[in-house]
Amino acid sequence: MTISETTKGRVTIVSVIGTLEASTTKELLKSPAIIDPTQTVVVDLEKLNFLDSSGLGALIGTLRKKREAGAETLISCMNDRIRRVFEITNAQRIFHVFDDTSAAVDYATQLTSRP
Amino acid sequence: MNRIITLTLPGELVFARFASETAAKAALMLINSCNADANDWKFTHAFELAVSEAFTNTVAYAQKLSSPQPVTIDFIFESQRLTVTIRDTNAPFSIETPAPEIDNYPERGFGLLLIRNVMDTVTCVRENGTNIISMSKQL
Repeated sequence: MTISETTKGRVTIVSVIGTLEASTTKELLKSPAIIDPTQTVVVDLEKLNFLDSSGLGALIGTLRKKREAGAETLISCMNDRIRRVFEITNAQRIFHVFDDTSAAVDYATQLTSRP
Repeated sequence: MNRIITLTLPGELVFARFASETAAKAALMLINSCNADANDWKFTHAFELAVSEAFTNTVAYAQKLSSPQPVTIDFIFESQRLTVTIRDTNAPFSIETPAPEIDNYPERGFGLLLIRNVMDTVTCVRENGTNIISMSKQL
């Protein structure tokens, strides 16, 4: 799995490439923008091939920690395989999910601009 | 006559991906042998996901032991059905766990919910010190 970070103003795009499962979640959780609870992130899943419950748990844990610190975790560009996992678990109910990363960044920017 | 492929892997998390990728290939093999729709991604993904969850769960229990035992996976091909059984002699576990409530931001406990949703039938028994989880799906 490969993680890359791109900063757009107050928002960081975290692109996850490969698979996100039990043996790879540690890599995601070591990403600086994920570690910082005050940093709002858009997690771009366009190039994520596989997600299981361990990977989903890492995303949910990230969301919880950031919300507690007043920040957000948004999800963009899920393919059908990833969306299936979100739908079965109802995870789409707690995340802001976007089909397009730039739209997610725009929304995240609005959130971070609120007083 | 059923065809069976048996795979034995060390009871270590690092082999979960190998197991799940093999499961996806087994599902694709069945699709091809039945001249079914090879683009039925849901069938291959179901096995990839279910085996990833079951193997990870098995290994998680195995880590409670000082020397985790190997995990044996059978892929059983019937005419239009694939059944996967995962056997290990590690600590017993149950699949009767309630699904977590998403509004509580749970980070664990989704594995069995996912398996049950993508498979037709799921059973888990312990026989003579061996855990056997069986997951089956029709094309």
